[in-house]
Amino acid sequence: MKKRFKPAYAFGAFALALTTVLAGCGSSSNSEATAQAASGSDTATASAPVQGGDFTYALATSPDTLDPRRSGLAVSVRVFGALYDTLLVRNADGSLGPSLATEWEQSDDGLSYTLKLKEGVKFQDGTPFNAEAVKYNFDSIIDPETKAANALALLRPYKSSEVVDEYTIKLNLETASQAFLGNLSQGMLSIVSPTAAKEKGEDFGKNPIGTGPFKFVSWSENAEIKLERNPDYAWGSGEAKNTGAAYLDNLTFKIVPEEATRIGGVQSGQVLAAETVPPQNIVALESDPNTQLFKTNTIGLPYTLFFNLEKKPWDELKARQAVQLAVDVDTIVKTLYLGTYERAWSSLTPGILGYDESLEGKISPNLEKANALLDELGWVKGADGIREKDGQKLTLHYVDGSPNREKRNDIAAMIREQLKAIGVETEVEITQDIATVVFQNWDYDLYGNSQVNADPNALSAFYHSTKEGERRTLNGLSDPEVDKWLEEAGVEKDDAKRIELYKKVQQYISDQALILPIYVFPYTVAAAKSVQGLAFDPFGYPIFNDVYLSK
Amino acid sequence: MIQAIGSRLFSSLLVIVGSLALVFCIFYLLPGDPVLSMVDPTTVSPEVVENLREQLGLNRPFHERLLAYFGDMLTGDFGRSLVGSEPVLPKILHQVPSTLLLTAASALVAIVVGVTLGVLSAVRKGGIIDLLARIVGLFGISMPTFWSGILLILIFSVQLKWLPAMGSDGFETLILPALALGFVGAGSIVRMVRGSMLDVLNEPFVTTLRAKGLRERLIQIKHVLRNALIPAVTLIGMQIGDMLAGTVIIETVFSRQGIGRILADAIMAKDLPVVQGIVFFTAIVYVGINLLVDLSYAAIDPRIRRKGART
Amino acid sequence: MKTSAGAARRGAWRGRAGLAQAETSVRSGKRLRFASSDILIGLAGIALVFLVLCALFPSWIAPYSPTEMNTAAILQAPSAAHLFGTDYFGRDVFSLIVHGTRDSLLIGASSVIVGVLIGATLGSVAGYVGGRLDAVIMRVMDVLLTVPGILLALTIAAALGPGLRNIVLAIAISSVPGYARVMRGQIMAIRGRGYVFASRAIGAKPSFILTKHVLPNSAAPLLVMATLGLGSSILAGAGLSFLGLGVLKEIPDWGALLSQGRGYLTVAWWICTFPGLAITLFVLSINLIGDRWRDAVDPKRKGRA
Repeated sequence: MKKRFKPAYAFGAFALALTTVLAGCGSSSNSEATAQAASGSDTATASAPVQGGDFTYALATSPDTLDPRRSGLAVSVRVFGALYDTLLVRNADGSLGPSLATEWEQSDDGLSYTLKLKEGVKFQDGTPFNAEAVKYNFDSIIDPETKAANALALLRPYKSSEVVDEYTIKLNLETASQAFLGNLSQGMLSIVSPTAAKEKGEDFGKNPIGTGPFKFVSWSENAEIKLERNPDYAWGSGEAKNTGAAYLDNLTFKIVPEEATRIGGVQSGQVLAAETVPPQNIVALESDPNTQLFKTNTIGLPYTLFFNLEKKPWDELKARQAVQLAVDVDTIVKTLYLGTYERAWSSLTPGILGYDESLEGKISPNLEKANALLDELGWVKGADGIREKDGQKLTLHYVDGSPNREKRNDIAAMIREQLKAIGVETEVEITQDIATVVFQNWDYDLYGNSQVNADPNALSAFYHSTKEGERRTLNGLSDPEVDKWLEEAGVEKDDAKRIELYKKVQQYISDQALILPIYVFPYTVAAAKSVQGLAFDPFGYPIFNDVYLSK
Repeated sequence: MIQAIGSRLFSSLLVIVGSLALVFCIFYLLPGDPVLSMVDPTTVSPEVVENLREQLGLNRPFHERLLAYFGDMLTGDFGRSLVGSEPVLPKILHQVPSTLLLTAASALVAIVVGVTLGVLSAVRKGGIIDLLARIVGLFGISMPTFWSGILLILIFSVQLKWLPAMGSDGFETLILPALALGFVGAGSIVRMVRGSMLDVLNEPFVTTLRAKGLRERLIQIKHVLRNALIPAVTLIGMQIGDMLAGTVIIETVFSRQGIGRILADAIMAKDLPVVQGIVFFTAIVYVGINLLVDLSYAAIDPRIRRKGART
Repeated sequence: MKTSAGAARRGAWRGRAGLAQAETSVRSGKRLRFASSDILIGLAGIALVFLVLCALFPSWIAPYSPTEMNTAAILQAPSAAHLFGTDYFGRDVFSLIVHGTRDSLLIGASSVIVGVLIGATLGSVAGYVGGRLDAVIMRVMDVLLTVPGILLALTIAAALGPGLRNIVLAIAISSVPGYARVMRGQIMAIRGRGYVFASRAIGAKPSFILTKHVLPNSAAPLLVMATLGLGSSILAGAGLSFLGLGVLKEIPDWGALLSQGRGYLTVAWWICTFPGLAITLFVLSINLIGDRWRDAVDPKRKGRA
């Protein structure tokens, strides 16, 4: 039997419009706006959108390339959303909605998907969007010549495409994957113009052509990326209320790495919006009558500290548990983020399929128990308060990257202070070169990472054992039972069963104290009061097609 | 004289080649893998990494890579960036004007403020103006630029809303960064000019001029300042080279375009072709400034002219 | 400051320029001073003594432990309990600055010592031996000067890994060319002086001439320059912290405090203002005293006084 999904258009559009409004009002589960933003939305519903205007949006870091196939940075995806469309979109409730693909069905063996494509869509260079275009996109991603980055990982296990007719394509997979379809909604798998991509080759990233609501104008490095309205746009997915051409004439992304300068830019009126607002400024801006604040919790893997199971004594459960009990995550998150970030409890974030709520509140700091566990292992406190065993000091080598992104270095400083209480000496190494220290030498006891992802299958890349020659995981975990759960969940078509399997995995990870989940990252934007209709998708990426500037 | 300039040009060329070779060696010895900073290591498989390495020629031995690099450069090919894969030369040339503009504006601030305050403070030695000028000079060389830069933004952009906090388009965006960077140079120049003004004021020839009954103002401006500025020329030359380097921090603070910011990013990403391109450029500027300073010095001071070019 | 290494280098340059100034002032004869200058020197001296005491006995001066994180009292403005307020961990800013003095001065002092030792050695060899060796050494120095100091510092830190030692080395190496050039100039000037000729004429060995005549006469200007370099090195260290090359130590140095606290400037100005003032105070005092010393040590000046 084939399962067929055909969205009811009228209802779909209504539901989407509703969730967007709810998101603006701050009552949606993972998208929340402050009082100012909500009142901004109220006026938005009252007044009709204004045509025209230039919107400037300050980014904290520079995109690496505007070719989605070759990009490895989340910041690039914020621009992709304006330039390109994806085949599918991820709705606020986590379900998948149509975009460039209108219908999709999975074969019984799960090894292929057949997609119906939207007709009448044109790339910004005037060439038509069709099945050939999709085939070119995906084939070029798996072609090593392209040097595809994250897109390659997202597209896996894609094997080949068959063009059934002009607007129907069949995608074949190497192995069944339940995450595959969802990944088609990720910005890194946006569809580029095959004509332009072939013509420009490696320079396509500086001359991008897509089907999105904005056309590329220019990119001056480390300064700004200029886009202009695509007047032909008429195929919006419904993710934005406006499915036609954008209200704005121009959309300019400024690249402003220094926090004080970026936020100062909004306050001085030099830019209309700035992303990644530091917590201390969020608190201050909330009382600023001239700005509004947007906050969207991202989904995927929260910021998580991983124990390296290949390092002694952290291969022992009790040692890890002692740290788990000694680290007061609540205090850390409250102190550093001043109530603007939520603490994480599990290896997944809330809002993702299979998230296990039962883990919330399960672990609370208990120094007595933590000390007892280390005593059991034979670690005895020395004169300096640090535990020793066989002449070895009990140290934890904590590696983190530089610069101090999202105050992650400060987390290390607080954990170092907290672990003193149980006689563990924490050596914090801050390095610019995470790639070498962590991913080549694996020289760490504890290292933190996070990932934005819409499918719980993301857990596989972090907890499934690896074979010889494959890149090992951060934990270096190798447990056949976990492997089995993850493999089954990866191909299971029944969501209820998938959820069960992923809950098992999460509970196992928590019980084994493999990780310390710290916080869920909220994507924050400060904007001038005149900015209306700015919304964010569940990944925290901005949606620009509804944006207009009130007078 | 011509021979001296010729040998100077030759040694300048040597210095430029040497600096490129030095950077190449440092990067060759660096631990770590540029490919790993190009891709997300959590999602990309080792075979992809190996392929990339092969394509970029990172697997070839040291001498082959060094020779290939200089060979390409002779034909004007500076290679492609490892990160964005765009050609290096246009990438840098596009950013150079912004950096040069900032450097020039900062130098202007430094010279105007520095010389004015220096002269005033020497002429009004012991007075309030002297004290203020000396304090400005001392603070100029005692404050970290990134700190004074942020303070300027908070005062003039956020509080007063007079000037833009960021960007590199237009004259207005140039003011704050040029002040932050120029202030440091001004600090050194104030001290230099004040000192040498005082020295010259006490020279016997000044006493002679005074004895001849020339007006004090005329002596100060026409005779003393001209002589006092000779050592300042050297200092200003050095300051300009220094300001060029200072753009690394200031361009970051004020989010300006420029090669300073590209350089910092390229080093973090171990993007050797881009780093090499920028070093090539800064080396030329540095050598050029040095040459100019030495020549102007030689032109001013006959004792040096006789000895030939200094090193 | 400018760039990390740029600052250290500028220190060297400033020193060099200063020497020119000192030498010209010698020609000029009596130079008047004013009283305000003496008051400033006095204040600078007191500040330096206090800072050195902070470096030696921080726990006698600081009211709180610098590592204690009182999370119930974060981001508190300056008050009687917390003279300079508290930071985002709830640490006492005054205690942090007092305890951070040691490493800050250490970064400054050790990078100057290393820079002067290498630079002076290379410079004297180049200046005394002359010829081809001189040309080679000075070309290498030119190369070092040409490669942006920040690049040197960043790559050195990248190559050797993070750590106080590597920061020091990065600053020291980029200041070497400056010291080498000044030392070479001094040696060459002294080598040409009458008493050295005389000494050589009566058959003194080169090593005797070098140690007895040349080095003592060239050491003083270099020492003055090193003193001024101390301030520049501290600024250089702060700049490296800004670019993310600092070290996450339990007790951060001033540069790190300043750089880490800058994000809070709008909401808690005290976190980065006071470390900034500490740096400025130290560098200012060093410069005042260095300037005065520069005037005092000049041999010709001394003879006349």
